[in-house]
Amino acid sequence: MNVGQGCAAETVVRVAGSTLVAALLAACGSRPQTGGAGGNGALPVGAVIALTGNASVIGQDQRIGLELARAQFAAGSPQLDLRIEDGGSDEATATNAFRSLIRADVVALIGPSLSQQAFAVDPIADRAGIPVLGPSNTATGIPQIGPFVSRVSAPVSQVAPLSIGAALRQNPDIRRVAVFYAQDDAYSTAESKIFQKVLAGRNLKPVAVQKTSVSDTDFQNQITDTLRRSPDLIVISALPSDGGNLVRQLRELGFKGTLVAGNGMNSPNIYPICQRFCDGLLIAQAYSPEADTPSNRAFLAAYAKAHGGGVPPQFSAQAFAAYQVVAEALRSLQASRPAGTTLAALPRAELRRQLNAALLKGTYQTPLGEIRFTPEGEVVQKNFYVAQVRMNRDGRSGRFQLLPTPAAL
Amino acid sequence: MEPALQFLINGLSTGAVYGLFALGYTLVFSVLGVFNFAHGAVFTLGAYLTYLLVGGAVGANGLLAGLQLPFALPFWAALPAAGLLTALVSLAVEATAFRPLRRHRAEPLLYLITSLGAGVILVNLLQLLLGAEGYSLPTTALGALPITLTIAGAQLRSVQLVLLVVAALVLVVLSLWLEGSRSGKALQAVSEDATTARLLGIDSDAMIRLGFAMSGFLAGIAGGLVGLSLSISGPYFGISYGLKALGVLVLGGMGSVSGAVLAGLIVGSAEALVPSEWSGYRDAIAYAFLFGVLLLRPQGLLGRAQSTKV
Repeated sequence: MNVGQGCAAETVVRVAGSTLVAALLAACGSRPQTGGAGGNGALPVGAVIALTGNASVIGQDQRIGLELARAQFAAGSPQLDLRIEDGGSDEATATNAFRSLIRADVVALIGPSLSQQAFAVDPIADRAGIPVLGPSNTATGIPQIGPFVSRVSAPVSQVAPLSIGAALRQNPDIRRVAVFYAQDDAYSTAESKIFQKVLAGRNLKPVAVQKTSVSDTDFQNQITDTLRRSPDLIVISALPSDGGNLVRQLRELGFKGTLVAGNGMNSPNIYPICQRFCDGLLIAQAYSPEADTPSNRAFLAAYAKAHGGGVPPQFSAQAFAAYQVVAEALRSLQASRPAGTTLAALPRAELRRQLNAALLKGTYQTPLGEIRFTPEGEVVQKNFYVAQVRMNRDGRSGRFQLLPTPAAL
Repeated sequence: MEPALQFLINGLSTGAVYGLFALGYTLVFSVLGVFNFAHGAVFTLGAYLTYLLVGGAVGANGLLAGLQLPFALPFWAALPAAGLLTALVSLAVEATAFRPLRRHRAEPLLYLITSLGAGVILVNLLQLLLGAEGYSLPTTALGALPITLTIAGAQLRSVQLVLLVVAALVLVVLSLWLEGSRSGKALQAVSEDATTARLLGIDSDAMIRLGFAMSGFLAGIAGGLVGLSLSISGPYFGISYGLKALGVLVLGGMGSVSGAVLAGLIVGSAEALVPSEWSGYRDAIAYAFLFGVLLLRPQGLLGRAQSTKV
């Protein structure tokens, strides 16, 4: 071996080493995290959430909800072994995560974080006969993917119209409306279609429809163009990061009218972005921390204990509810079995089939309120809310103040 | 008139960031002839460091949840401080991802992999430590400056003008240094021909390190300015800027400092001119424009045509 070859070999080793370290660190969010009960007869339940990429702000909230639920439902039979895997913020990573958990023989899957991903990966679980429960997939058509697909996240068609109603109640003189939505996100696109349909139903034709991207940070050109058309109301369908930023820039550039945000922005994560400019924002909510139910009170207490205070975001509550549904459906299934027999003894395909049926049949008292499912897998949620953001004096923290819904008026 | 001025300022302020970002790429490319794909991560780090140095607190997630430095610098001090820190990080990237390969005269493709690896590590470390939440620099960071200014009837965000002024200042200082100082001229000599420069007594390795440090400083400054003007939308927000700046670098002419600045301003202004009904396709239009220019002028706007030895 000559010197040149030695150097080349060393170089290759160094490069391989560096790449390996990079891959290991990159995977720090994608390593499956088990609940620690594996190997002792616990039933594996998989969760695929966005722990990396642009949607990781959603995934990290969902992880909190899942971990709180795991702690709350740790006692009782059957024992569950929660395995969290990073689904990234794209379809390819979510597909790999789904396949990995299917190979791990999970009884059910929770996830993925984005509707966009759900359209790609839910058919994989459905074909494998594994119940998959969407914690935050609100786009139209998710439960229709297949008989094993259901969701705890209410569809945009139910939640979105409420905030438009609230805006018009606050200001009946609204005539000119502008719409912003992230065109590269299935949820935002679906929600904006609903918003625009509701607006058309009230004879409010948008003076501008601006398409953005979830990775956008600079909206100044679209805002400048929109403000020239003097809208009274601007309706936004986006995720917390891009949406919060858009709100801030709208206010900074002088928009004084009413702002309505979609359900994707129902998160305290918008506070550090739009800061004092978040104040007054109207948001329709599938979950309100202010809902006074026993399940929600317990959830709030668990969250506050784990995080030293604060209130949980909607994504945490929905992930908690998804785990709760799976846990309670498995318990009801266990309760229906002859004494002395365990669910683990059932062939896995049969267990999954029975679980799917039990899951769709049950009624659950969750932090979201009472929920059940249609035979197709669509969630039937009892309570929705409209809140207005009220920022504190420091401009860094705030709360979602509940507004009276039409039923309560 | 007002909308035109508003669009112009929007375009120029966006373009100034692209230009600053692309200059960092240019400095490394000019001395090594390779791209530093960790540059976007250094830019992101600059934004986070500026946020922390002005007194920003880490959110509820990440290993450093709730962290807040015991002091808060004014933005004017925090920005260069963040730039200096990112310069150090850029030097660390050079020492780990570039220098070992350079010693072994490795293929340029390998630099791509190692710098990409370094960038991925940095971004994931940021997420691990600080969580994935978005942040904005406090709206009071500019002190007594009002949020908006009205100039010739156009309503402009003060921060856009600050961004333009700071970017212009940095570019002028950089140009003066490159043209008027011994070290600047030495850097240019290395970028022309490292071997000849070495024969002339110039320490090429030191110049390469200087190039990385300057590149890191510019990335940190650009990140801090974007954090102030727009927001830090999570640890991944540098990726799209990185791709755009790469396009700007190519459009300006690889290795050309003035080309990077000019191309940054052109791309920023071109984006501002995209009609609102096409706003969702802004990136596609910007890249199509780039594509078209490069078909007509493959060496870029201010780049030199490469002669091929036969």
